[in-house]
Amino acid sequence: MKPRLNAYALTFRLPILIWQALFFLGPLLFMIAMSFFLVRNYRMEEAFVMKNWERMLSRGFVWDSYWYTLGMAALASLTASLLAFPAAFALAFRTSESVRRWAIFLLVIPFFTSYLVRTFSWYVILAESGVINAGLGAVGLGPFTMLNTAFGTLVGYMTLTLPLVVILQTVTLAGIDPSLIQAARNLGCPPWRTIPSVVLPAAKTGMVVAALFAFILSFGDFVAPYYLGGSKPPTLPILIIDTTKAGQQWPRAAVVAVIMMVTLFVIAFAAIAFAYRRRASR
Amino acid sequence: MSEPLVVLDGVEKRFGDFTAVRRADLTIDEGEFVAIMGPSGCGKTTTLRMLAGLETPSAGEIRIGGRSMNDVPPHARDTPMVWQSLALFPFLTVRENVEFGLKMRGIAAAARKARALDWLDRLEIGDFANRIVDTLSGGQRQRVALARSLVTEPRILLLDEPLSALDAHLVIRMQGVLTRLQRELGIAFVYVTHSHSEAFAMADRVVIMSRGEIAQVGAPRAIYRAPANRFVAEFVGRNTILTGTVEGAALRTPIGTFALPAPATDGATAHLVLAADILHIARAADPAARNAVEARLISEEFVGSIVTLFLEAADGTEFKVQMQERALTGLDLHAGGRFHLTWATDDAHLLPEVPA
Repeated sequence: MKPRLNAYALTFRLPILIWQALFFLGPLLFMIAMSFFLVRNYRMEEAFVMKNWERMLSRGFVWDSYWYTLGMAALASLTASLLAFPAAFALAFRTSESVRRWAIFLLVIPFFTSYLVRTFSWYVILAESGVINAGLGAVGLGPFTMLNTAFGTLVGYMTLTLPLVVILQTVTLAGIDPSLIQAARNLGCPPWRTIPSVVLPAAKTGMVVAALFAFILSFGDFVAPYYLGGSKPPTLPILIIDTTKAGQQWPRAAVVAVIMMVTLFVIAFAAIAFAYRRRASR
Repeated sequence: MSEPLVVLDGVEKRFGDFTAVRRADLTIDEGEFVAIMGPSGCGKTTTLRMLAGLETPSAGEIRIGGRSMNDVPPHARDTPMVWQSLALFPFLTVRENVEFGLKMRGIAAAARKARALDWLDRLEIGDFANRIVDTLSGGQRQRVALARSLVTEPRILLLDEPLSALDAHLVIRMQGVLTRLQRELGIAFVYVTHSHSEAFAMADRVVIMSRGEIAQVGAPRAIYRAPANRFVAEFVGRNTILTGTVEGAALRTPIGTFALPAPATDGATAHLVLAADILHIARAADPAARNAVEARLISEEFVGSIVTLFLEAADGTEFKVQMQERALTGLDLHAGGRFHLTWATDDAHLLPEVPA
């Protein structure tokens, strides 16, 4: 069937199309164009040169930063998924509908306060003289360095992503038809085995989408690696900031941004394809 | 075997203040097809779920194969169930669905596959083995659910209104499949349904439940011809119930005095149950008839060759008359028309008053 353009549909779709064109597609195209611009005497000039790309792609520190950021985001995605699962499981299967509603409401509350403020509160907890080390010191342990480490960065990523991942997983798990789990039990499946045999396969799409969100948010986050990770080594968002500050190198920053965009596109596409894949028969 | 396959011994189930099943006593024999029938909320599904271990009795004991099941979790029972919603795993192929129970029992992949394919062939859905479940039709999914439950060769199969989502013509076909399977396998089927026709067509014995209690247990024909109480008489088939006082060998009711088919205590309240197919309808009064009532035709229900007529006597009692469509010619049926209903004394069923 040939898709038909009708006025009614167009009226309602037009605003979103205009919005997308103005605030997403436009800046994106400009950013791509900018990655080919020139900077001379601290001033950006329109041009079409490969210089920025050649420079950024040939620098070891850019690639170090790339793999580090990718690895940390993947670790954050995995950690958030694992930490969220017991909570989401309990909320979905072991609590009443009203408790679940309240829990989801409470999980939204962290988003009311600034992420930056929440991150700074970890300073008090993780510092050499902070709450955790004071507690460990009392029993003769430590102090442990947690700030300005990869661990600090991960804690920050969790602050950003964990509530969202719990919400997404809870909604997904609560949506599983309970008779599937009962049917599995009825067919000889002991309680612990229902998780790998029924719960996870039935919730696959939602679980992958939740993990993908954690990945996307962590991959692009500047706050956690800067304030809790001490930007050592810098992640790509920190690299972008540093590059723009150092000699107005906006085109080089644009190169990093485009690389990030492409990476996210590939990963998001792969994750969604995996999430919705109908299993072929073996 | 000293004991029947399944024994329910004073089983009760309470949910808070609500008693779903009250003091249920029932036995099911090896290889028997038992249907549990009743209106929604009568406790039939709860009873089935207790057999599967998905609900725990609040009191009483369930024994299967002589062993108390009260503390046996569902996965250790071997009481597979066919669900009303079928509850097939949407993330598995047809074959993997059927293999599920075998996999849980630790059977090797090759043996699992062979047995699953065997069952799929037996139920004539072998061609769909590698399909995803939701690409199948309702009847095909039904067969997958059956294969999935039977592949572990249980001694008892529980079925929870399995045909309620199917088209009428498919229901008839699946009834045939189920009865044939049950005979071939020689295992017990416990079949929960709200449909008379399904229960009566398939079961060796029917258990009728009402408000959490077992109202009657018996062969379909016995229940149909001799309901044990008013509830069963009203629930099963299309019976007309006349209530009155016993006077010698007759029952005095507001619309006449009728002969009793069996002796009853003088002065007691009793009911006469008239099955819809024992009533004879005519335009003219038959002076020789022992039992006769005049009634006005209200409506008729035409289902192919069988017609049900609904008539109303002077005091509002509704009479249901079932007959062959052919036998109606010449009766000049029209709403409001007056007819004479008669029946043979021995065809009526006497129901002594029991607390409803």
